[in-house]
Amino acid sequence: MTYAFIALFLFAFLLLVLLGLVLRDPNRVPRPNAAEGLTEFPDRTHVTFFPQIKQALAVQDFAYLASLGRNALANRVCKERRKIALTYLACLRNDFQTLWRLGRVISSMSPQVGTAQEFRRLQLGLAFSLRYEMIRIKLLFGFAPLTDFGALSEVVSRLSIRMETAMRDLGERAALAAKPSSSLDGRGLDVS
Amino acid sequence: MTGMSLSVQSIWACSILAQLIALTLLLLRKNASKIPFFTTYIVLNLCQAGFMLVLALIPTLSRATFERLSWLAEAITLLAQAVATTEILGLTLRPYPGIWGLAWRALVAVSSLVVLILVWVTHAQGIGQLWFQLNRGYHLTFATAVIACLALVRYYSIRVPSPFKMILAGFCLNSCVEVLVNTLIQVLFHKGYAVYQAAWEIVTMISFVATLTIWIVALWKPFPVDARQIALPSDSTYRRLSPEINERLREINEKLLRLWKMEARPE
Repeated sequence: MTYAFIALFLFAFLLLVLLGLVLRDPNRVPRPNAAEGLTEFPDRTHVTFFPQIKQALAVQDFAYLASLGRNALANRVCKERRKIALTYLACLRNDFQTLWRLGRVISSMSPQVGTAQEFRRLQLGLAFSLRYEMIRIKLLFGFAPLTDFGALSEVVSRLSIRMETAMRDLGERAALAAKPSSSLDGRGLDVS
Repeated sequence: MTGMSLSVQSIWACSILAQLIALTLLLLRKNASKIPFFTTYIVLNLCQAGFMLVLALIPTLSRATFERLSWLAEAITLLAQAVATTEILGLTLRPYPGIWGLAWRALVAVSSLVVLILVWVTHAQGIGQLWFQLNRGYHLTFATAVIACLALVRYYSIRVPSPFKMILAGFCLNSCVEVLVNTLIQVLFHKGYAVYQAAWEIVTMISFVATLTIWIVALWKPFPVDARQIALPSDSTYRRLSPEINERLREINEKLLRLWKMEARPE
Protein backbone atom coordinates (compact mmCIF):
# COMPACT_ATOMS: atom_id res chain seq x y z
CA MET A 1 0.00 0.00 0.00
CA THR A 2 2.81 2.37 0.91
CA TYR A 3 4.56 1.66 -2.38
CA ALA A 4 1.35 2.54 -4.17
CA PHE A 5 1.20 5.85 -2.32
CA ILE A 6 4.81 6.64 -3.16
CA ALA A 7 4.18 5.76 -6.79
CA LEU A 8 1.10 7.97 -6.87
CA PHE A 9 2.95 10.83 -5.27
CA LEU A 10 5.89 10.55 -7.65
CA PHE A 11 3.56 10.24 -10.61
CA ALA A 12 1.68 13.40 -9.62
CA PHE A 13 5.00 15.19 -9.19
CA LEU A 14 6.14 13.95 -12.58
CA LEU A 15 2.91 15.26 -14.08
CA LEU A 16 3.65 18.70 -12.66
CA VAL A 17 7.13 18.64 -14.20
CA LEU A 18 5.71 17.47 -17.51
CA LEU A 19 3.12 20.23 -17.37
CA GLY A 20 5.91 22.76 -17.01
CA LEU A 21 7.76 21.19 -19.94
CA VAL A 22 4.84 21.06 -22.35
CA LEU A 23 3.85 24.65 -21.56
CA ARG A 24 7.31 26.25 -21.62
CA ASP A 25 8.43 29.05 -23.92
CA PRO A 26 6.28 28.84 -27.04
CA ASN A 27 8.80 30.84 -29.09
CA ARG A 28 11.14 27.88 -29.10
CA VAL A 29 8.55 25.76 -30.80
CA PRO A 30 8.62 26.07 -34.57
CA ARG A 31 5.15 26.76 -35.93
CA PRO A 32 3.80 24.66 -38.72
CA ASN A 33 3.31 26.65 -41.80
CA ALA A 34 3.73 25.50 -45.34
CA ALA A 35 5.43 28.71 -46.43
CA GLU A 36 7.82 28.56 -43.47
CA GLY A 37 8.44 24.94 -44.25
CA LEU A 38 9.47 25.90 -47.72
CA THR A 39 11.79 28.67 -46.62
CA GLU A 40 13.47 26.54 -43.99
CA PHE A 41 14.02 23.76 -46.45
CA PRO A 42 17.63 24.05 -47.61
CA ASP A 43 18.29 24.37 -51.31
CA ARG A 44 21.22 22.07 -50.96
CA THR A 45 21.42 19.38 -48.34
CA HIS A 46 24.67 18.23 -46.80
CA VAL A 47 24.52 14.85 -48.45
CA THR A 48 25.79 16.51 -51.61
CA PHE A 49 29.18 16.90 -49.96
CA PHE A 50 29.62 13.19 -49.55
CA PRO A 51 32.25 12.74 -52.32
CA GLN A 52 34.47 15.33 -50.65
CA ILE A 53 34.06 13.68 -47.25
CA LYS A 54 34.78 10.30 -48.77
CA GLN A 55 37.91 11.66 -50.41
CA ALA A 56 39.00 13.34 -47.18
CA LEU A 57 38.76 10.07 -45.32
CA ALA A 58 40.20 7.82 -47.98
CA VAL A 59 42.53 5.20 -46.50
CA GLN A 60 44.98 5.66 -49.35
CA ASP A 61 45.86 9.20 -48.23
CA PHE A 62 46.90 8.04 -44.78
CA ALA A 63 48.72 5.05 -46.21
CA TYR A 64 50.61 7.30 -48.61
CA LEU A 65 51.68 9.69 -45.85
CA ALA A 66 52.71 6.77 -43.67
CA SER A 67 54.74 5.25 -46.51
CA LEU A 68 56.69 8.51 -46.72
CA GLY A 69 57.60 8.05 -43.10
CA ARG A 70 55.50 10.99 -41.96
CA ASN A 71 53.55 9.19 -39.29
CA ALA A 72 53.00 12.31 -37.18
CA LEU A 73 51.56 14.15 -40.14
CA ALA A 74 49.43 11.15 -41.06
CA ASN A 75 48.03 11.06 -37.53
CA ARG A 76 47.30 14.77 -37.53
CA VAL A 77 45.58 14.57 -40.88
CA CYS A 78 43.59 11.58 -39.70
CA LYS A 79 42.49 13.43 -36.59
CA GLU A 80 41.49 16.56 -38.46
CA ARG A 81 39.62 14.64 -41.11
CA ARG A 82 37.79 12.65 -38.45
CA LYS A 83 36.61 15.96 -37.03
CA ILE A 84 35.32 16.84 -40.46
CA ALA A 85 33.51 13.50 -40.62
CA LEU A 86 31.89 14.19 -37.26
CA THR A 87 30.73 17.59 -38.44
CA TYR A 88 29.37 16.01 -41.56
CA LEU A 89 27.50 13.44 -39.50
CA ALA A 90 25.98 16.24 -37.41
CA CYS A 91 24.90 17.99 -40.59
CA LEU A 92 23.31 14.78 -41.83
CA ARG A 93 21.39 14.63 -38.61
CA ASN A 94 20.20 18.19 -39.17
CA ASP A 95 19.00 17.17 -42.61
CA PHE A 96 17.21 14.21 -41.11
CA GLN A 97 15.60 16.33 -38.42
CA THR A 98 14.45 18.93 -40.91
CA LEU A 99 12.84 16.24 -43.03
CA TRP A 100 11.34 14.58 -40.00
CA ARG A 101 9.89 17.90 -38.85
CA LEU A 102 8.42 18.49 -42.27
CA GLY A 103 6.84 15.05 -42.02
CA ARG A 104 5.15 16.20 -38.83
CA VAL A 105 3.97 19.38 -40.55
CA ILE A 106 2.35 17.30 -43.28
CA SER A 107 0.67 15.19 -40.62
CA SER A 108 -0.56 18.20 -38.66
CA MET A 109 -2.13 19.64 -41.80
CA SER A 110 -3.80 16.46 -42.91
CA PRO A 111 -7.53 16.01 -42.38
CA GLN A 112 -6.95 12.45 -41.20
CA VAL A 113 -3.94 11.11 -39.37
CA GLY A 114 -3.07 7.46 -38.97
CA THR A 115 -2.12 6.55 -35.42
CA ALA A 116 0.02 3.62 -36.54
CA GLN A 117 1.93 5.75 -39.05
CA GLU A 118 2.60 8.47 -36.51
CA PHE A 119 3.68 6.04 -33.84
CA ARG A 120 5.96 4.33 -36.32
CA ARG A 121 7.58 7.64 -37.24
CA LEU A 122 8.11 8.52 -33.60
CA GLN A 123 9.68 5.12 -33.05
CA LEU A 124 11.94 5.58 -36.08
CA GLY A 125 13.00 9.02 -34.91
CA LEU A 126 14.00 7.66 -31.55
CA ALA A 127 15.86 4.77 -33.12
CA PHE A 128 17.66 7.16 -35.45
CA SER A 129 18.78 9.36 -32.58
CA LEU A 130 20.10 6.37 -30.68
CA ARG A 131 21.98 4.95 -33.64
CA TYR A 132 23.35 8.32 -34.63
CA GLU A 133 24.85 8.71 -31.17
CA MET A 134 26.33 5.23 -31.34
CA ILE A 135 28.00 5.94 -34.69
CA ARG A 136 29.23 9.30 -33.46
CA ILE A 137 30.87 7.64 -30.46
CA LYS A 138 32.37 5.06 -32.78
CA LEU A 139 33.89 7.83 -34.89
CA LEU A 140 35.09 9.67 -31.81
CA PHE A 141 36.98 6.60 -30.71
CA GLY A 142 38.77 6.28 -34.00
CA PHE A 143 36.66 3.86 -35.98
CA ALA A 144 35.65 5.01 -39.44
CA PRO A 145 32.62 3.15 -40.75
CA LEU A 146 32.80 4.91 -44.06
CA THR A 147 31.82 2.32 -46.61
CA ASP A 148 28.16 2.82 -45.92
CA PHE A 149 28.25 6.59 -45.73
CA GLY A 150 27.42 6.68 -49.41
CA ALA A 151 24.28 4.62 -49.00
CA LEU A 152 23.21 6.68 -46.01
CA SER A 153 23.70 9.93 -47.89
CA GLU A 154 21.81 8.57 -50.85
CA VAL A 155 18.81 7.71 -48.70
CA VAL A 156 18.76 11.17 -47.13
CA SER A 157 19.11 12.73 -50.54
CA ARG A 158 16.18 10.77 -51.97
CA LEU A 159 14.07 11.70 -48.97
CA SER A 160 15.03 15.35 -49.42
CA ILE A 161 13.86 15.40 -53.00
CA ARG A 162 10.59 13.69 -52.08
CA MET A 163 9.92 16.08 -49.22
CA GLU A 164 10.85 19.11 -51.29
CA THR A 165 8.20 18.14 -53.81
CA ALA A 166 5.65 17.62 -51.05
CA MET A 167 6.41 20.96 -49.43
CA ARG A 168 6.17 22.77 -52.74
CA ASP A 169 2.77 21.20 -53.14
CA LEU A 170 1.78 22.40 -49.66
CA GLY A 171 3.14 25.87 -50.41
CA GLU A 172 0.93 26.09 -53.46
CA ARG A 173 -2.04 25.03 -51.37
CA ALA A 174 -1.17 27.64 -48.75
CA ALA A 175 -1.16 30.28 -51.46
CA LEU A 176 -4.57 29.06 -52.59
CA ALA A 177 -5.85 29.14 -49.01
CA ALA A 178 -4.92 32.81 -48.81
CA LYS A 179 -7.60 33.51 -51.46
CA PRO A 180 -10.94 32.79 -49.76
CA SER A 181 -12.87 33.63 -52.91
CA SER A 182 -11.43 30.58 -54.59
CA SER A 183 -12.45 28.18 -51.83
CA LEU A 184 -14.49 25.18 -52.74
CA ASP A 185 -15.08 23.70 -49.34
CA GLY A 186 -15.45 26.70 -47.10
CA ARG A 187 -11.94 26.37 -45.71
CA GLY A 188 -10.24 28.27 -48.41
CA LEU A 189 -8.85 25.12 -49.86
CA ASP A 190 -8.85 23.56 -53.20
CA VAL A 191 -8.54 19.93 -52.44
CA SER A 192 -9.07 18.57 -55.87
CA MET B 1 -20.58 26.07 8.08
CA THR B 2 -20.52 22.70 9.77
CA GLY B 3 -17.11 21.82 11.07
CA MET B 4 -15.30 24.45 9.00
CA SER B 5 -12.59 26.46 10.71
CA LEU B 6 -12.35 30.21 10.25
CA SER B 7 -9.30 29.90 7.99
CA VAL B 8 -11.11 27.43 5.74
CA GLN B 9 -14.13 29.70 5.61
CA SER B 10 -11.93 32.67 4.64
CA ILE B 11 -10.28 30.79 1.80
CA TRP B 12 -13.67 29.50 0.72
CA ALA B 13 -14.97 33.10 0.59
CA CYS B 14 -11.90 34.07 -1.46
CA SER B 15 -12.56 31.29 -3.92
CA ILE B 16 -16.18 32.39 -4.35
CA LEU B 17 -15.04 35.96 -4.92
CA ALA B 18 -12.50 34.79 -7.49
CA GLN B 19 -15.16 32.70 -9.25
CA LEU B 20 -17.46 35.72 -9.39
CA ILE B 21 -14.67 37.82 -10.89
CA ALA B 22 -13.95 35.11 -13.47
CA LEU B 23 -17.63 34.87 -14.39
CA THR B 24 -17.96 38.66 -14.64
CA LEU B 25 -14.91 38.78 -16.91
CA LEU B 26 -16.31 36.00 -19.06
CA LEU B 27 -19.54 37.95 -19.53
CA LEU B 28 -18.04 41.43 -19.84
CA ARG B 29 -15.37 40.46 -22.37
CA LYS B 30 -17.92 38.45 -24.32
CA ASN B 31 -15.83 35.32 -23.93
CA ALA B 32 -18.72 33.33 -22.49
CA SER B 33 -20.16 32.65 -25.93
CA LYS B 34 -16.79 31.42 -27.16
CA ILE B 35 -16.31 28.94 -24.31
CA PRO B 36 -19.86 28.13 -23.11
CA PHE B 37 -18.92 24.91 -21.32
CA PHE B 38 -16.17 26.59 -19.36
CA THR B 39 -18.64 29.32 -18.39
CA THR B 40 -21.09 26.62 -17.32
CA TYR B 41 -18.35 25.06 -15.24
CA ILE B 42 -17.75 28.33 -13.38
CA VAL B 43 -21.50 28.78 -12.87
CA LEU B 44 -21.79 25.21 -11.58
CA ASN B 45 -18.97 25.85 -9.14
CA LEU B 46 -20.83 28.87 -7.80
CA CYS B 47 -24.02 26.84 -7.59
CA GLN B 48 -22.11 24.18 -5.71
CA ALA B 49 -20.90 26.77 -3.21
CA GLY B 50 -24.48 28.02 -2.77
CA PHE B 51 -25.72 24.47 -2.38
CA MET B 52 -23.14 23.78 0.31
CA LEU B 53 -24.16 26.92 2.12
CA VAL B 54 -27.82 25.89 2.06
CA LEU B 55 -26.91 22.41 3.31
CA ALA B 56 -24.87 23.91 6.12
CA LEU B 57 -27.82 26.01 7.20
CA ILE B 58 -30.09 22.99 7.66
CA PRO B 59 -29.66 22.07 11.32
CA THR B 60 -31.36 18.68 11.11
CA LEU B 61 -29.08 17.39 8.36
CA SER B 62 -26.83 14.56 9.50
CA ARG B 63 -23.10 14.67 8.77
CA ALA B 64 -23.29 11.55 6.63
CA THR B 65 -26.00 13.03 4.42
CA PHE B 66 -24.10 16.31 4.24
CA GLU B 67 -20.97 14.51 3.05
CA ARG B 68 -22.88 12.39 0.55
CA LEU B 69 -24.59 15.41 -0.96
CA SER B 70 -21.32 17.36 -1.01
CA TRP B 71 -19.54 14.61 -2.92
CA LEU B 72 -22.47 14.39 -5.32
CA ALA B 73 -22.23 18.12 -6.03
CA GLU B 74 -18.48 17.71 -6.45
CA ALA B 75 -19.01 14.89 -8.95
CA ILE B 76 -21.21 17.14 -11.08
CA THR B 77 -18.62 19.92 -11.18
CA LEU B 78 -15.87 17.42 -11.98
CA LEU B 79 -17.91 16.18 -14.91
CA ALA B 80 -18.35 19.79 -16.04
CA GLN B 81 -14.59 20.26 -15.69
CA ALA B 82 -13.93 17.37 -18.06
CA VAL B 83 -16.40 18.76 -20.59
CA ALA B 84 -14.94 22.29 -20.32
CA THR B 85 -11.43 20.95 -20.86
CA THR B 86 -12.50 18.97 -23.89
CA GLU B 87 -14.06 22.15 -25.23
CA ILE B 88 -10.80 24.09 -24.84
CA LEU B 89 -8.77 21.30 -26.42
CA GLY B 90 -11.29 21.06 -29.25
CA LEU B 91 -11.04 24.81 -29.89
CA THR B 92 -7.25 24.62 -29.86
CA LEU B 93 -7.16 21.79 -32.35
CA ARG B 94 -10.13 22.87 -34.47
CA PRO B 95 -7.95 23.89 -37.43
CA TYR B 96 -6.21 20.52 -37.24
CA PRO B 97 -8.89 17.85 -37.64
CA GLY B 98 -6.36 15.07 -38.18
CA ILE B 99 -4.46 15.83 -34.99
CA TRP B 100 -7.72 16.28 -33.07
CA GLY B 101 -8.75 12.82 -34.24
CA LEU B 102 -5.46 11.48 -32.94
CA ALA B 103 -5.69 13.50 -29.74
CA TRP B 104 -9.09 12.27 -28.61
CA ARG B 105 -8.05 8.70 -29.25
CA ALA B 106 -4.93 9.34 -27.18
CA LEU B 107 -7.12 10.86 -24.46
CA VAL B 108 -9.32 7.78 -24.34
CA ALA B 109 -6.35 5.40 -24.37
CA VAL B 110 -4.41 7.21 -21.67
CA SER B 111 -7.49 7.70 -19.51
CA SER B 112 -8.44 4.03 -19.76
CA LEU B 113 -4.94 2.96 -18.84
CA VAL B 114 -4.78 5.24 -15.79
CA VAL B 115 -8.27 4.15 -14.68
CA LEU B 116 -7.25 0.49 -14.92
CA ILE B 117 -4.10 1.12 -12.89
CA LEU B 118 -6.07 3.03 -10.28
CA VAL B 119 -8.69 0.30 -9.98
CA TRP B 120 -5.88 -2.13 -9.39
CA VAL B 121 -4.16 0.09 -6.82
CA THR B 122 -7.20 1.42 -4.94
CA HIS B 123 -8.35 -0.42 -1.81
CA ALA B 124 -11.00 1.69 -0.12
CA GLN B 125 -12.28 0.88 3.35
CA GLY B 126 -15.59 2.59 3.90
CA ILE B 127 -17.61 5.03 1.85
CA GLY B 128 -15.67 8.11 2.98
CA GLN B 129 -12.38 6.65 1.84
CA LEU B 130 -13.96 5.49 -1.39
CA TRP B 131 -15.15 9.00 -2.30
CA PHE B 132 -11.73 10.32 -1.43
CA GLN B 133 -9.95 7.83 -3.63
CA LEU B 134 -12.42 8.25 -6.46
CA ASN B 135 -11.74 11.97 -6.35
CA ARG B 136 -8.01 11.39 -6.48
CA GLY B 137 -8.38 8.86 -9.26
CA TYR B 138 -10.40 11.29 -11.30
CA HIS B 139 -7.84 14.08 -10.89
CA LEU B 140 -4.98 11.77 -11.76
CA THR B 141 -6.73 10.52 -14.89
CA PHE B 142 -7.72 14.03 -15.86
CA ALA B 143 -4.25 15.51 -15.45
CA THR B 144 -2.57 12.62 -17.28
CA ALA B 145 -4.96 12.83 -20.21
CA VAL B 146 -4.64 16.60 -20.57
CA ILE B 147 -0.85 16.54 -20.30
CA ALA B 148 -0.69 13.73 -22.87
CA CYS B 149 -2.82 15.81 -25.17
CA LEU B 150 -0.67 18.91 -24.62
CA ALA B 151 2.45 16.85 -25.29
CA LEU B 152 0.92 15.72 -28.57
CA VAL B 153 0.10 19.34 -29.44
CA ARG B 154 3.68 20.31 -28.68
CA TYR B 155 5.07 17.41 -30.70
CA TYR B 156 3.20 18.67 -33.77
CA SER B 157 4.31 22.25 -33.02
CA ILE B 158 0.75 23.50 -32.85
CA ARG B 159 0.40 26.92 -31.29
CA VAL B 160 -2.00 27.00 -28.35
CA PRO B 161 -3.57 30.46 -27.85
CA SER B 162 -2.26 31.93 -24.61
CA PRO B 163 -5.63 32.19 -22.74
CA PHE B 164 -6.45 28.56 -23.57
CA LYS B 165 -3.02 27.50 -22.43
CA MET B 166 -3.53 29.26 -19.10
CA ILE B 167 -6.96 27.71 -18.61
CA LEU B 168 -5.60 24.22 -19.29
CA ALA B 169 -2.58 24.88 -17.08
CA GLY B 170 -4.93 25.93 -14.28
CA PHE B 171 -6.97 22.76 -14.58
CA CYS B 172 -3.88 20.56 -14.61
CA LEU B 173 -2.19 22.40 -11.78
CA ASN B 174 -5.28 22.05 -9.62
CA SER B 175 -5.61 18.34 -10.37
CA CYS B 176 -1.92 17.63 -9.74
CA VAL B 177 -1.99 19.48 -6.43
CA GLU B 178 -5.15 17.56 -5.44
CA VAL B 179 -3.41 14.25 -6.12
CA LEU B 180 -0.21 15.30 -4.36
CA VAL B 181 -2.05 16.58 -1.31
CA ASN B 182 -4.43 13.66 -1.09
CA THR B 183 -1.62 11.16 -1.31
CA LEU B 184 0.79 12.99 0.96
CA ILE B 185 -1.75 13.64 3.68
CA GLN B 186 -3.01 10.09 3.48
CA VAL B 187 0.54 8.79 3.99
CA LEU B 188 1.48 11.25 6.72
CA PHE B 189 -1.69 10.94 8.74
CA HIS B 190 -2.66 7.34 8.52
CA LYS B 191 -5.12 7.68 11.36
CA GLY B 192 -8.40 8.26 9.61
CA TYR B 193 -9.77 10.87 7.30
CA ALA B 194 -11.24 13.18 9.94
CA VAL B 195 -7.75 13.97 11.25
CA TYR B 196 -6.49 15.62 8.11
CA GLN B 197 -9.76 16.96 6.74
CA ALA B 198 -9.00 20.59 7.71
CA ALA B 199 -5.48 20.47 6.21
CA TRP B 200 -6.85 18.87 3.07
CA GLU B 201 -9.55 21.53 2.74
CA ILE B 202 -7.11 24.41 3.21
CA VAL B 203 -4.52 23.18 0.72
CA THR B 204 -7.01 22.18 -1.96
CA MET B 205 -8.87 25.46 -1.62
CA ILE B 206 -5.65 27.47 -1.86
CA SER B 207 -4.78 25.49 -4.97
CA PHE B 208 -8.21 26.25 -6.42
CA VAL B 209 -7.85 29.96 -5.62
CA ALA B 210 -4.45 29.93 -7.37
CA THR B 211 -6.07 28.26 -10.36
CA LEU B 212 -8.82 30.87 -10.41
CA THR B 213 -6.20 33.62 -10.30
CA ILE B 214 -4.52 32.13 -13.38
CA TRP B 215 -7.91 32.04 -15.11
CA ILE B 216 -8.67 35.64 -14.18
CA VAL B 217 -5.39 36.69 -15.80
CA ALA B 218 -6.29 34.60 -18.87
CA LEU B 219 -9.77 36.10 -19.07
CA TRP B 220 -8.67 39.66 -18.43
CA LYS B 221 -8.66 40.52 -22.12
CA PRO B 222 -11.10 39.36 -24.80
CA PHE B 223 -9.86 36.28 -26.60
CA PRO B 224 -7.96 37.16 -29.77
CA VAL B 225 -9.69 36.30 -32.99
CA ASP B 226 -8.52 32.89 -34.09
CA ALA B 227 -6.84 33.73 -37.36
CA ARG B 228 -5.18 30.37 -37.72
CA GLN B 229 -5.89 29.08 -41.14
CA ILE B 230 -3.95 26.20 -42.51
CA ALA B 231 -3.77 24.71 -45.92
CA LEU B 232 -5.16 21.26 -45.58
CA PRO B 233 -3.79 18.91 -48.17
CA SER B 234 -6.05 16.17 -49.41
CA ASP B 235 -6.32 13.03 -47.37
CA SER B 236 -4.64 11.11 -50.16
CA THR B 237 -1.53 13.30 -49.84
CA TYR B 238 -1.04 12.12 -46.27
CA ARG B 239 -1.87 8.53 -47.09
CA ARG B 240 0.62 8.61 -49.94
CA LEU B 241 3.41 10.48 -48.19
CA SER B 242 3.28 9.21 -44.64
CA PRO B 243 4.07 5.54 -45.30
CA GLU B 244 6.71 6.61 -47.79
CA ILE B 245 8.39 8.91 -45.28
CA ASN B 246 8.30 6.19 -42.67
CA GLU B 247 9.76 3.72 -45.12
CA ARG B 248 12.63 6.12 -45.90
CA LEU B 249 13.23 6.74 -42.25
CA ARG B 250 13.30 3.01 -41.65
CA GLU B 251 15.85 2.64 -44.45
CA ILE B 252 18.04 5.31 -42.88
CA ASN B 253 17.81 3.53 -39.58
CA GLU B 254 18.82 0.28 -41.19
CA LYS B 255 21.80 1.98 -42.81
CA LEU B 256 22.75 3.44 -39.47
CA LEU B 257 22.52 0.03 -37.92
CA ARG B 258 24.79 -1.37 -40.61
CA LEU B 259 27.18 1.49 -40.00
CA TRP B 260 27.23 0.54 -36.37
CA LYS B 261 28.03 -3.06 -37.15
CA MET B 262 30.84 -2.22 -39.53
CA GLU B 263 34.31 -1.56 -38.24
CA ALA B 264 36.37 -0.36 -41.19
CA ARG B 265 39.20 1.24 -39.29
CA PRO B 266 41.61 3.09 -41.59
CA GLU B 267 45.06 1.61 -41.51
